Amino acid sequence: MSKPISELQKEFSPEEDPYQSARKKGASRWIIAHLFHGTNKLIIVIVIFSTVLSANLASANMVIIGQAISEFLNGNGSNLIYYLIIILLLGLGGPLVRLINFMLREILAQRMERDTRKEFYSSLLGKSQSFHDRQETGELMARATDDVRNLNFLVSPALSLILESFTSLIIPAIYVLLFYPTQLIITPISFSILFLIFLWDYNKRIGPVTRDLRSQYGKMNSVLNEALSGIETIKATAQEKTEALKYYLQAKEYRNFYVERGKVQAKYLPILLYALSVTIGLGHAIFLYTNGLMGIGEIIGYVGLLTQLRFPTNISIFVFGIIRLATAGAERLLELMNQKTEIDENISGISQSIDGEIEFKNVTFIYPGGDKPVLNDISFKIEAGKTAAIVGTTGSGKTTLTKLISRLYDINEGKILIDGIDIKDYSLKSLRSQISYIEQDLFLFSDTIIENITFGRTSSIEDVKRVAKEAQAHDFISNFPDQYETEVGERGVTLSGGEKQRVAIARAFLTDPRILILDDSTSAIDSETEDKIQRAIKNILRNRTTLLITHRLSQIRWADLIIVLKRGKIAAKGTHEELLLTSQEYRKIFVKKFDTQAEKILEKVK
Amino acid sequence: MAMIGLEAEEYDRKYSDIALIKRISSYFRPYLRNLVIVVIFLTLYSLTNSLVPVLTRFALNNLAVNQDFVYLLFVLGLILSINLLNWIFNYFRQINSAKMIGGVVLDLRKDATNATLKHDLSFFDKTPTGKIVSRINSDGQDFSQTVELSIELISSIFIIIILIIFMVFINVLLTLAFIISIPLFFMVALSFRKIARKKTLLGQRARANVNSFVKESVSGIQIAKTFRREEKLYKRFNKVNQQSYEVNLKRAWVLNGIFPSLGIVQGVVIALLVYFGGIGVLEGVISGGDLYLFLQSIWLLLFPLFIIASFWPAFQAGLAAAERSFSLIDAEPVVKQNDDIVPGKFEGKIEFKNVTFRYEENKNVLENFSLTIHPGETVAFVGHTGAGKSSIANLIARFYEFQGGNILIDGVDIRDFNLEGYRNQLGFIPQTPFLWGETLENNIKYCCLTATRDEVVDTLDKAGGYDWIEDLSKGLDTFIGERGNLLSMGQRQLVVFARVLLEDPSILILDEATASVDPFTETRIQEAVEEIVEGRTAIIIAHRLWTVRHVDRIIVIDDGKIVEEGTHEKLMDKGGKYAELYNTYFRHQSLEYIEEVKKLE
Repeated sequence: MSKPISELQKEFSPEEDPYQSARKKGASRWIIAHLFHGTNKLIIVIVIFSTVLSANLASANMVIIGQAISEFLNGNGSNLIYYLIIILLLGLGGPLVRLINFMLREILAQRMERDTRKEFYSSLLGKSQSFHDRQETGELMARATDDVRNLNFLVSPALSLILESFTSLIIPAIYVLLFYPTQLIITPISFSILFLIFLWDYNKRIGPVTRDLRSQYGKMNSVLNEALSGIETIKATAQEKTEALKYYLQAKEYRNFYVERGKVQAKYLPILLYALSVTIGLGHAIFLYTNGLMGIGEIIGYVGLLTQLRFPTNISIFVFGIIRLATAGAERLLELMNQKTEIDENISGISQSIDGEIEFKNVTFIYPGGDKPVLNDISFKIEAGKTAAIVGTTGSGKTTLTKLISRLYDINEGKILIDGIDIKDYSLKSLRSQISYIEQDLFLFSDTIIENITFGRTSSIEDVKRVAKEAQAHDFISNFPDQYETEVGERGVTLSGGEKQRVAIARAFLTDPRILILDDSTSAIDSETEDKIQRAIKNILRNRTTLLITHRLSQIRWADLIIVLKRGKIAAKGTHEELLLTSQEYRKIFVKKFDTQAEKILEKVK
Repeated sequence: MAMIGLEAEEYDRKYSDIALIKRISSYFRPYLRNLVIVVIFLTLYSLTNSLVPVLTRFALNNLAVNQDFVYLLFVLGLILSINLLNWIFNYFRQINSAKMIGGVVLDLRKDATNATLKHDLSFFDKTPTGKIVSRINSDGQDFSQTVELSIELISSIFIIIILIIFMVFINVLLTLAFIISIPLFFMVALSFRKIARKKTLLGQRARANVNSFVKESVSGIQIAKTFRREEKLYKRFNKVNQQSYEVNLKRAWVLNGIFPSLGIVQGVVIALLVYFGGIGVLEGVISGGDLYLFLQSIWLLLFPLFIIASFWPAFQAGLAAAERSFSLIDAEPVVKQNDDIVPGKFEGKIEFKNVTFRYEENKNVLENFSLTIHPGETVAFVGHTGAGKSSIANLIARFYEFQGGNILIDGVDIRDFNLEGYRNQLGFIPQTPFLWGETLENNIKYCCLTATRDEVVDTLDKAGGYDWIEDLSKGLDTFIGERGNLLSMGQRQLVVFARVLLEDPSILILDEATASVDPFTETRIQEAVEEIVEGRTAIIIAHRLWTVRHVDRIIVIDDGKIVEEGTHEKLMDKGGKYAELYNTYFRHQSLEYIEEVKKLE
């Protein structure tokens, strides 16, 4: 049935994709691929070089200050000016090199954010509809915003700080070796070893608490959010106290985690280690002084070098949190991006224009990842140009059924034929271009009205006006100051449900598809709009095969074929008259006890 | 201080700084013990911290003069133990401040939530949910960070002061030079702040642009796919993404400049210190140990000074967060009761006497509105959107305060009831059914926790039938998802009906849902409505006229006034406003109409 993966094509692919293989190799490989991409390599070399250089300048400064003091203490002031200039240059040079370093690493960080977001976005565009149905928008947004941003923070400050920490562990030690008695190396080395052990241990303890704290914050938010959205219900049932208590319990739990974290943080040992190391180093140097191996100036220089260890001590606390967040985020991003897109495009398939006869033959469909069939053994046939209404309760599979026709999903069993040909034999592009949807959850892009009607195709304004008139949309559009150029959506005007629906109908007119799928289960609006929408829908039904999902009895009544779905199966199908006779359920919705006339009609039909 | 981009909301009050500090202090009172401990250990911590370089100076000076071993060992031992003490002091300080801050923020959150829930609906109309949540949760967070920062700051100031005192004793001139350098650090730090704030704002805006673009693409993905619009979206995305990159890179550059700039100041100060200190050493006025102390002080200074320089805006932000929480707590609910009568079962007589009501100034929705609803009567309000139908229901539910006239329930002024007791006698079915992210059973038992399972099943059976529950995977124990989104709209309505039925109120208000429901469920809803209005005074805000045909009285409202009233038949015969509404608005659902049209075609 399906072709090997190598032949599967992406639904959409951007120009080039340099990270394709890295995505399969896990989060760290993928991050590295991004980090070392293109000109980044050169920048990284400069960043490393400048980090090492600035640590060198700082250490050299300490040694020279020590040397200067030694000379002064010996009463030698001849080099005073010379020292002033050197120390000034080193003092200025260090920060300047750091500045360059910072600016470069920011380029890396921002590129990381930009490129991963771009990759993620293009991957989203390339995913099949079934993928998007499974994902919640909020979830995807969290990936595209927070996770991508955390990758930025991973480069700067986290990775840069690790680099800086390492250089400020190593470089001062080298200077100790170069300029002071060799045995003084004991303190910085033992510090480094113990520091790494303590840090590892701390990291192990702080991790879970921080995670708990963060997830508790999420719970606190969602409890409050829920209560506020249900405020009408809370007030009407006088349950304010219960809800306040519910929130309080969550907030209290948060407080507990906060205190818990405070306890772990308070026990951060590296700070003690640092203080003790400096003191021990000082004692060691003093001991060497009494043996005549060092001068006061050298002691000051040496202790100065030791104080450089303060940097990794203070900074490491928060670096690991960022790394943890970023790698977790990268994993989530990869998990989404690595999911396959299930539809085979069949580019070389049939691309002729169709008449519009639709036939389902024993179709069974299970959502990818699901276990129960959503549609079970569905068979029916709609002749070209006719209208079929699909009725049934929510969850009975109405919308799913319509999505199968344009292959937003592929079916598991049975066949769907258009003009007698299996839909899989058509080129996907050609097939979809002849099928239009007018959805229940109408969506317009934040763009002008004309853009939302033409959707990228080049149409004359006359054409657009013509279709807008047929869709009963011209009147309200003309009432906007900018008419067809009016911006809609977030930055522009907000259209009502009925107005959106008519824009969507206008769009469908312009596409002039052979097959139209219309989900008209939106709510009834005011009378005038309602009439207009009904007129627009009647216009669009003409001369094309239409599948209508509707709650409106009038539309059901007009359909050539009515399919009643119940829990994924066809409970009844036929014309209105047939169904009144055969389906009790169908009869129930039409024959209300106050519909006196209906009884008579029913009698007549019988 | 005006914060750019952050508009003050309506219920914001202006607190004077003193009032604010006083109010904040009152929250610390229950944690006085922790506070005292924090202050003590903070002082000790700062003291020990600054003692280390001072003691080192003593050691170095002794070294230069007579190398007294016992003295040296003593000083070194002292430094070691002070370091240890320092860490221990800090340990207790941190633990206690975590307890204190955690507690204060908890109390603040509790008060803010309680106050929020007491507000009437006019408050929630004005304030979006997201804003309230962020006031209670993230403002609490900001506030706690400010307190943490304040503690850091106090300790930094302590350390600097103690060091300066020692330095003055050693060399007045060098100390003066040192003190003069402090404003220099400030100037550098502050000059960054202004640009940084501007750039940050731009950066956030650019990022928000990208985010909303992504969000829109994801929401519209199906349309984009069916119309093959991906290419175009991708190009546009690249544009906004690149823009965000450029803006945020500039922002990051500015922000990253601050540390190196402070470093430059530090470098200059150190060079000068070595130079002038060197002269002092050569003249024999200053010892090596003295110079060490000065140098250490400069190194010690950078971090605290950075905190201080960046402190002011953060402190302001924390105060603003506290002020927002307090104004949330202090805002008075508009709906206020004058008495505390706890009602029993109502007869159910409702009287409106010359009621005037408006949501906004100068725009009366109801004016001199009078109406009597009799006990046990079912009344339906009909009319265009905005005619005032829902307002009548909202006033009876006491969701909003009215401005003139009286509303009496069984002859008692509605303002004289105890609100909780009153609402217990009231059943309210909102337009959009709201359910909790819980099991189905708990949703039905929301206000009557003691109800048995049999009662729940029975109630559901009355409210449109129990059989659909059996289709759910776990029946009554099914978790129905956030806001009940695992159920269909129609099912959600049935659940809300059951909830109210179980509550068994004397007065029922039903604001009909406007959302469309499939015809099968619609039929069930009709049956359920007939069941729940039985035996109580019922008010139906009709949007669909399904139900209204057999109510006792239909009241047609237009522009806040009663224009017609009577039964369906009577009003249809009259051929007035109601007949017109009925004929245009609801005919698409009437079989009679459909058949008529069919004949005509």
